Amino acid sequence: MVSSVINPVIAIAINTFRETVRDRVLYAFFVFACSITVLGILLGSLSVGQDIRIIEDLGLTVIAIIGGIISVFAGTNLVYKELERRTIYVIFTKPVSSWQFITGKYLGLVMCIFVVVLAMGVFLLGLIWMVDPTHHMQLHIGSIIASLALVFLELLFVLALATFFSTFSTPIMSVIFTLSLWFIGHLGGSLLDLSKMSSNPAAQQLLTALYWCLPDLAQLTRVRSVLMYGKEPSQEIIIFMLAYVFAFIFFLLGLASLVNERREFP
Amino acid sequence: MDTVQQPKEHIDVTGVNVIEARGLKKDRVSSFLLKRSPILDDLSLTVREGETYGLLGPNGAGKTTTVKILVGLIKPDSGDALVLGQKAGEPEALKQIGFLPENPYFYSHLTGYEFLEFIGQLFALKKKELKERMAELLELVGMTADANQPMRKYSKGMLQRLGIAQSLINNPKVIFWDEPMSGLDPIGRRDVRKILERLKSEGKTIFFNSHLLPDVSDVCDRVGVLVKGKLVAEDSIKDIERGGGYKDLEEYFLTKVGG
Repeated sequence: MVSSVINPVIAIAINTFRETVRDRVLYAFFVFACSITVLGILLGSLSVGQDIRIIEDLGLTVIAIIGGIISVFAGTNLVYKELERRTIYVIFTKPVSSWQFITGKYLGLVMCIFVVVLAMGVFLLGLIWMVDPTHHMQLHIGSIIASLALVFLELLFVLALATFFSTFSTPIMSVIFTLSLWFIGHLGGSLLDLSKMSSNPAAQQLLTALYWCLPDLAQLTRVRSVLMYGKEPSQEIIIFMLAYVFAFIFFLLGLASLVNERREFP
Repeated sequence: MDTVQQPKEHIDVTGVNVIEARGLKKDRVSSFLLKRSPILDDLSLTVREGETYGLLGPNGAGKTTTVKILVGLIKPDSGDALVLGQKAGEPEALKQIGFLPENPYFYSHLTGYEFLEFIGQLFALKKKELKERMAELLELVGMTADANQPMRKYSKGMLQRLGIAQSLINNPKVIFWDEPMSGLDPIGRRDVRKILERLKSEGKTIFFNSHLLPDVSDVCDRVGVLVKGKLVAEDSIKDIERGGGYKDLEEYFLTKVGG
């Protein structure tokens, strides 16, 4: 009974993972990301005693950007590609429900992004080990792993956004919607500040309502800045951040399943 | 011969009805002016257990729409579609049917073997059972030697064969094939005909659309003719060939569609 629920999800996840990792574009992105990270050695040599810090910062930024690009483009093509190839006809004439399809697709991409972030993280650590004359990896490994985990968490959210939009929109529109909401998410706090500054109660209510409807990724930024200074963020902040991001992911995937459930495949 | 303008009752009291469509209506809605034009207009038909039913009709008659409603890919605007007593598209019905879409194209990143495995996993088949079933089906469709090739290297005929194999992975009671012989060479058509005959001998209920009338005439028990979304005629092949006054199925078809 459990296997009839779980097996289709796993099968769709593995199929999605295979499809993404067998796409040559992914490797092009990977080589590009590694090349830019290597450029950090050159930039580092221009600084005075901060070369490792610069490689670290550049490497993590590249991982976040390339991971983001892969998440947005792979996520927004999720349902569209199945429709275009007409493979959706084969899936939805099998006992597969909408939520199993969406969850499987999402998990497949999560596996792929995990591998990408892990591979680029290992490359970055290797580069730092090579450049650091003392080869004291223990000084860097903790902060880099924490930063990578943060990047991965943010990408999980971006993937859920892209998955949601892919269920009812064309890939181009989905990319625009996903990037917009991702960007707005980082400015969420400003909406709240603006509502406090406004003297018009209607504007205040509108801005507050907008703030509650839109995602707020400010916590991620705050934790990132704490990590940047080599400090540890408090446990409450981490728990709140995880709960917030995962609640949003469940909400978006639930909504995506509902939208997909109502769809027809003519 | 029994020609009907809009058949309302085809239920054979002695047989079990496996596929039932009652008063199906479906409109196409234009995206700009939201203008509605009918694709299916009060379509009713019944297929009994173990019967092979061929739905014939010119292009745009609504054959593919009918099959898509029966497998749950689209919902009718009104009317009921039942498969094995369940509403079309319900999980219990889907577990017992096999579907081959028209011009199937599958995943270019998978090998034929991986694709069949994927489809089997969607039915939550056990590993051992799935392996045996895959070997059996690859043999049936003559794809054993090419199963480990990536699907992007497959010809249209090979994709069609693999599509047939995937539609049978769950050993379905009811089979829906949409144009199973389109694009196949004479050898491919003969092979599909043989597979159909074997499935028929196993007592499967088969519903398929086709333009290739000689093939339909060879394997079907009964045919329905769909024109502009309406079922204009429905007869058994025996009646058409023996007492219908038609030379063959082609003459029957052309008479019914007014061609």
